[in-house]
Amino acid sequence: MEKEQYQKLEQYVTPKPPYLKNVAKAFVVGGLICLIGQAVSLFYMVFFNFTEATVGNPTVATMVFFSMILTGIGLYKRIGQFAGAGSAVPVTGFGNAVISAAIEHRSEGFVLGVGSNLFKLAGSVVLFGVVSAFFVALIKYILVTLGVVSW
Amino acid sequence: MRHLIKTLLLCIGSMLLLSGCMEKEKFVVYGATTQGKDVEIIVKDADYVERATVIQFEDSMLVAVQIKPWRKWQKAKLEKKLQKQLDKKYPKQEILVSADYKIFYEANKIKKEQLENTKLNERLTKLKELAKEQT
Repeated sequence: MEKEQYQKLEQYVTPKPPYLKNVAKAFVVGGLICLIGQAVSLFYMVFFNFTEATVGNPTVATMVFFSMILTGIGLYKRIGQFAGAGSAVPVTGFGNAVISAAIEHRSEGFVLGVGSNLFKLAGSVVLFGVVSAFFVALIKYILVTLGVVSW
Repeated sequence: MRHLIKTLLLCIGSMLLLSGCMEKEKFVVYGATTQGKDVEIIVKDADYVERATVIQFEDSMLVAVQIKPWRKWQKAKLEKKLQKQLDKKYPKQEILVSADYKIFYEANKIKKEQLENTKLNERLTKLKELAKEQT
């Protein structure tokens, strides 16, 4: 069989992914996660001294904590299978990435296994988050000095 | 089981819908003062304000507002606008305008508990400090 022939056959045989269905699933589940996040931040505002400006940090921490526990139990895997990007894009996906790498390398020991692989997946999130934050701040600083926008 | 879930969902849905229709007190002024009515007029005049609670004590005033959903994009700007407007109207008073939900919630709590004098003053100063906090 020629290479081109094979490619044609392969394209013919592979089932078409249900894009629209996947998008709808991701939308609904991602929205539900955000709804829970909103509830958590409301909880912090009502019962603790956080304002809308400061409530972000504890909310993010709590959501990551939730998803870490769900990953440990093995439930987040199922959510991920069902919703795809809907469960990976919110911060909860970060907690999942950290813990799933830790579980995967548990057998290699605590230092060389868990310790060195903990941020194998999540490390890029941290790195690019910091770098992009730096550049966004730089751009905003330049715009403010030029007088285009205000802080 | 399925039937039960369906009825439950229907019940919750209709309850949510009905509670949305209930008329709430949208503009509240609390505290003894002479310009109470004036503030209400100014705040009501601002078409971007959905609900507002004004707490007054001696010469300090806390204006807690909730901005309409679609205009929340310009929340900081609208907050500043209202602050400027009120500062101009009452130059002698110490005014704080906040569109933060926490401040609004606490302001309503003050009204509900009918706080007075020292307690009210304490709570107000605390809230004003809280409103200035950043991350």
